[in-house]
Amino acid sequence: MIEFSHVNKRYGEYHALVDINAQVRKGEVVVVCGPSGSGKSTLIRTVNRLEEIQSGTLTFDGQNVHAKMSSKELNRIRSRIGFVFQSFNLFPHMSALENVMFSPIRLRGLRPADAHDKAMLLLDRVGLVNKSRSYPAQLSGGQQQRVAIARALAMEPPAMLFDEPTSALDPEMVGEVLAVMRSLASEGMTMMCVTHEMAFAREVADRVWFMDAGSILSMAEPNSFFGNPEHPRAQRFLADLRAR
Amino acid sequence: MLSEVYHIIQDDWPLLLIGQYPNGPLGGIAATLLLSVLGISLAFPLGVLVALARISPWLLLRAPATALVYTMRGVPLLVIIFWGYFLVPLLIGRVVPGFVTMVCALVIYEAAFLSEIVRAGIQALPSGQTDAARALGHSHLGAMRYVVLPQALYNMMPSILSQFVSTIKDTTLGYVINVPELTFAANQINNRLLTKPFEVFFLLAVIYYVVCWSLTQLANWLERRIAAKRAGSGGAYRKDLAVQDGQPLPAEL
Repeated sequence: MIEFSHVNKRYGEYHALVDINAQVRKGEVVVVCGPSGSGKSTLIRTVNRLEEIQSGTLTFDGQNVHAKMSSKELNRIRSRIGFVFQSFNLFPHMSALENVMFSPIRLRGLRPADAHDKAMLLLDRVGLVNKSRSYPAQLSGGQQQRVAIARALAMEPPAMLFDEPTSALDPEMVGEVLAVMRSLASEGMTMMCVTHEMAFAREVADRVWFMDAGSILSMAEPNSFFGNPEHPRAQRFLADLRAR
Repeated sequence: MLSEVYHIIQDDWPLLLIGQYPNGPLGGIAATLLLSVLGISLAFPLGVLVALARISPWLLLRAPATALVYTMRGVPLLVIIFWGYFLVPLLIGRVVPGFVTMVCALVIYEAAFLSEIVRAGIQALPSGQTDAARALGHSHLGAMRYVVLPQALYNMMPSILSQFVSTIKDTTLGYVINVPELTFAANQINNRLLTKPFEVFFLLAVIYYVVCWSLTQLANWLERRIAAKRAGSGGAYRKDLAVQDGQPLPAEL
């Protein structure tokens, strides 16, 4: 479903992504981990072209995302890729409900009444029906992130990308967000998650990609990655995480 | 002194209020308000457009917008008014009423300043807002219209208000090209009375103060209303929220 082939990205002199070759199959849950600055977020942001690449190809559902195309085409592809940010990025001038309703109305031409019903179902799914009228500033971080997931799901994307979805949260709120992600995974959603939540990776991921210095150093099933990491850099990374 | 001011009002209130109208052009406070309302209501949308052009990736939009802003910022409004008054009729070969010249000069000049305020508001927003809108599949303009501008304009309300108030005060410059607005009327009265300049111009100051103060109050009210809505404590919202918050949370996932 998502396929990287010889993807390279540079910021001037700095080589941010080095010859990435990898794929995420339909229904698969991939966790991307690695030390900070290793290129995880850059990698995930190239999938919906929030970041440009300099060479290689990246296809989503058979479409070459970085091909020359009209902004209309690109927007259509983006609307089929759910994206959840570390800092939630809810629209603060809209209520939780409006955040979720807004895109289906504007982009899919849904009637407001239908969009409303659909948004309420999604908010129910993330456990926030009773907060539908609250504005982001009135919600906790965990609640905001759950609304953000509902907002992404409102476009009915076949795949979801998570860019450190729990890193900005207080520890007691991490669980509620991971629970939503876990339930999505169990329903067969194709997911790519940048996260430091190793318990989540171990339990939910089909594969774990380990990145350092812009390269994917290993791609392994969670059991072998956590039980018996081959790469010395991965061993050190896991040891550091455990020592924390 | 106040009794003198009172006499001026008593004798000349029609002149202060509507100028020579209906025997001559509309003037006085009415003309000042009309100039202000036209100036603000045309300059504001134009300012937003210029701001969008200023940050546009297309040079074809960015260059003229930037040139406009630099020109207007570097030249006094009075000079712009003179240009319009003396040069535009020569260029187009027909007479332009002073009132029209004044509105055009005000709109272009204030739009340039407003556009810089709006641009600052747009660029001060965290880039995550645009990222989120783009990631959902919204176009650049869609993201601007529904996500960025509603926040940027709200955040910039104090500066935008200052610029609006400036616009009202800048209408006084219509005086130099014989637009019979409030200052013009006051000067007519002063020229006739000869001995009461302090009273006349005191009255003039008070009237401008009241007009500008009213606009400030309107803006404050609007700001409070939006803030209350976004804090969820405004009007009917509060009751609903209180009831909902009283209900037990559904089982968390």
